[in-house]
Amino acid sequence: MIYLNNAATTYPKPQCVQDACNAFFQRIPAGQFRSAADTGTADIFTQCRKKLGTLLGIRETGRIYFTSGSTEALNKILYGLGIPASQMIVTASEHNSVLRPLYNIPSIQGAPAVVPCDRNGKVHPETLERYIAAESRVLVVNHCSNVTGCIQDMREISRIARKHHLLLIVDLSQSAGCIPVDVDGWMADAIAFTGHKSLFGIQGSGGYYVRSGIPFRPMLFGGSGKDSGRLFYDPDDYEYETGTLNGMGVTALDAGAGYLLEKGVAHIQREEQEKMRYLYESLSRMDALTLYGEAEENKGPVLSFNVEGLKAADTAYILQNSYGIISRAGLHCAPLLHACLETGPWGTVRISISDLNTWEELERFVQAVREICQAAG
Amino acid sequence: MKIVDVKESGERCAEAGWFAWDILFDGPMEKEFIKKLSVIGGSFVFLEMLRNPFFKLEAEHYIVKGVQGNDFLRAAVHRDYPEELERIKGILENTAEGDKINSYPQ
Repeated sequence: MIYLNNAATTYPKPQCVQDACNAFFQRIPAGQFRSAADTGTADIFTQCRKKLGTLLGIRETGRIYFTSGSTEALNKILYGLGIPASQMIVTASEHNSVLRPLYNIPSIQGAPAVVPCDRNGKVHPETLERYIAAESRVLVVNHCSNVTGCIQDMREISRIARKHHLLLIVDLSQSAGCIPVDVDGWMADAIAFTGHKSLFGIQGSGGYYVRSGIPFRPMLFGGSGKDSGRLFYDPDDYEYETGTLNGMGVTALDAGAGYLLEKGVAHIQREEQEKMRYLYESLSRMDALTLYGEAEENKGPVLSFNVEGLKAADTAYILQNSYGIISRAGLHCAPLLHACLETGPWGTVRISISDLNTWEELERFVQAVREICQAAG
Repeated sequence: MKIVDVKESGERCAEAGWFAWDILFDGPMEKEFIKKLSVIGGSFVFLEMLRNPFFKLEAEHYIVKGVQGNDFLRAAVHRDYPEELERIKGILENTAEGDKINSYPQ
């Protein structure tokens, strides 16, 4: 089986992540702030926050909060800011984990302004500026499209956000771990990440960061392991992690972050871009195939295509059941982007690689698509 | 050949309001069986050139697709027409058992 669905969840995981997960069961559980006893266990939570801070360019690592993934993180950010969706700007590239909270969380729900993308999934700065209105207060940007692999120009977008005094929220779900990220350099006010994609953690892990000084209310209240006698909070001393944290998830995330720091995200990006260039060049030579993006613009480890005469779901079905290649078909939870790509309602076939995919796997994938194009064309 | 199991598929058929089931048989689907399915109605695609030929039968409210040699196929119905699944299962059962099929009510 060849696994090319890493934009959903990376597989396999590096050996160090597997080892860390196995070792997790051999240790006394780590409970942040919860035990006076020295268990001999390092504070995995603090350690992981520091590694993530290094990876993502965040100095205030104490303000990185763990969640079950990007969806929970984005819900908490959008709820926590308490700003009506009608005063927000999003891009057409956003995932449903941004769009659905905006349309459905009762206290903020409304219709955000949606900035269209081009056919590569790119948001052009001049287009973005046209969508900024006097009442706009927040800009949400998906750093790397989970459909086309387009990486947005965050420095330029950040400049526009500052110029218009917008809070900048960046969704790093697809980029954290495989594309260099500089949260402080971008002056991002909040970011969300997930653990189980390019950070090589496990499903059910992730988190968010909110810059200090931004009014932000917690979505959840409960036990935090600190100051248990207290029942009321003031807005300036809220706690943002309550309940028992996902120890296994943070352990895996810590190991994944360690793997990435050792190997280097820039190095991983170069290797993945070389593989993606090979895929773009090979697929672009096939007559019966439409590619959504191009190697020069779309530099994330994700690409989308369709084969003439077949729905995306059919092509993915053939890849899986005739060739043993796992891809993904459909809208990929980014429904607004498909209006820009003209790929609704059936979407695209998406393939996505990780640092651990081999050249041989990619060559076998290209050969399979070639055969499908010949048969369908 | 007969149907041995029907399982709801984890894949929501491209997330566009369709719901899919994987129908398992007690043996591999041969070319003759696949070709008989075309009498169900709808457009029939059979990519015989592929190393493992792919077939698809598609009408307004349902899709049936699979690969020759596999012991399962996928039947997807639009969420507004869940009753189509029973009709498709009935047809597949008859076909699998070797009944001669000429036409079915649409």
